[in-house]
Amino acid sequence: MHIMEGFLPWQWCLLWWIVALPCLIFGIYRLKKVLGTDPEALPLLGVTGGFIFILSSLKLPSVTGSCSHPTGTGLSAVSFGPWITAVVCAIVLLFQSLFLAHGGLSVLGANIVSMGIVGPFFGYAIYQALRNTSVNLYITVFLATALSDMFTYVTTSLELALAYPAEIGGIGSSFILFMGIFAVTQVPLAIVEGIVLALVFKYIITLKPDILIRLKIFSEEKINATRSDA
Amino acid sequence: MFEEFLEDIAQKNGLRGVNTYLKLATGLGAIILCLLSTSYFSPLFIALILTGSILVLARVDAKTYAGLFIVPFWFALFSVAGIILVSGGQEVFWRWDPFSWLSLSITRESINFGFLVFCRVMGGMSAMCFIALTTPMTDIFIVLRQCRIPEVVIDLAMIIYRTIFIIVDQVKQIYNAQVMRLGYSTFLESIHSFASMCGAVFIASWDAGEDLIRAMNARCYDGKFALLGETRPVEYLPLFAVMVFLSLSSLVVILSKDMTII
Repeated sequence: MHIMEGFLPWQWCLLWWIVALPCLIFGIYRLKKVLGTDPEALPLLGVTGGFIFILSSLKLPSVTGSCSHPTGTGLSAVSFGPWITAVVCAIVLLFQSLFLAHGGLSVLGANIVSMGIVGPFFGYAIYQALRNTSVNLYITVFLATALSDMFTYVTTSLELALAYPAEIGGIGSSFILFMGIFAVTQVPLAIVEGIVLALVFKYIITLKPDILIRLKIFSEEKINATRSDA
Repeated sequence: MFEEFLEDIAQKNGLRGVNTYLKLATGLGAIILCLLSTSYFSPLFIALILTGSILVLARVDAKTYAGLFIVPFWFALFSVAGIILVSGGQEVFWRWDPFSWLSLSITRESINFGFLVFCRVMGGMSAMCFIALTTPMTDIFIVLRQCRIPEVVIDLAMIIYRTIFIIVDQVKQIYNAQVMRLGYSTFLESIHSFASMCGAVFIASWDAGEDLIRAMNARCYDGKFALLGETRPVEYLPLFAVMVFLSLSSLVVILSKDMTII
């Protein structure tokens, strides 16, 4: 979900930029390290970025100055971790502003925090918690991507509520109001995104499992076990 | 949605030859002025001037430009309605308290504030569209490199830029093939078709990306993309026009600071 250009007051635009910048700087540091050891990861990063661009361009209206869409960031968080995802997302969000007039430049910091930092962090945490357990690989991917998507929306609702608190009840009321509106459109979308990305993983495991093994997303044993189950 | 990117329009717009820094100063300056505005008038003034420049100077098709505003217009309209209902004020026209923690009201102050936010969105969108429709991404890459953004970020941005076009081409082809085979006939079929399309596109794009890296390695790629582009000179007339626009807009922001709609 992208907040539109001009929607947030300048103080909030500045604050979210200040929050996003240290994460981006650390992400660039991690990116340099990954590309230093494995330069061939660059095409996958490009594909992941392109994927996030396409998925998060499929926008549906919601009634809070923003829009609902799949985020696709769970895929990047699972493949490269949340820090590099923040950098990929920042680039994708910039492209979306300039290619599709989707999102904005002053609100880029706020959009990076919600879609590039908080959402992927939650997705990555779920993935880390479940990857070495007996939980099915597809369920792990489903939960990581769906929750990554949902937490993106929770964060955007919080950003909107902080900028525009209600007169009575303040930020809390405003947050509940924004969340209530988003939940209607976003919960089904998050579930669909989780199912779609789990099926994408199924497809990759069937046709080209070496991608997942090389990136150490899942262990070879787990992938082989999943393939033999199918 | 992907029939025509703004990038395609930017590549052949009437302001293509103007110095990139001047165009960015115009767009970013306008965004900052819209954000600093405390009255509805200045963002509308900025939107009007920039829309005129986009249509007349950049020669962008009016229908295409208007199409960019349909979605933001409705989003802004609904969101402003929400802000008007919750932000409250002194002079109350209508009030309803559905819960103890939520009060909905329409006041003079909330209408003025809501209209200001609406105009700021319209002004900000026109400023962003000005950059998007007049400045191709390749020019922005050159500016990013001159601003000493880390090479690794620019290289990644360029790879993503290239991949987007590969993916869009493949999505179009696969989607059409699936539709012809009744791929999206039911909801479940749609999810399955969409997922298999994403998987196929992912693998095909990965292969295309690896081919690109192999081709570049064969041409002595050392981890840094060559970026060819000329820095266009700053001409006096565009410089003068940008200075007049930003000065006039700043003056309007200051003079109209207390202006309200009701």
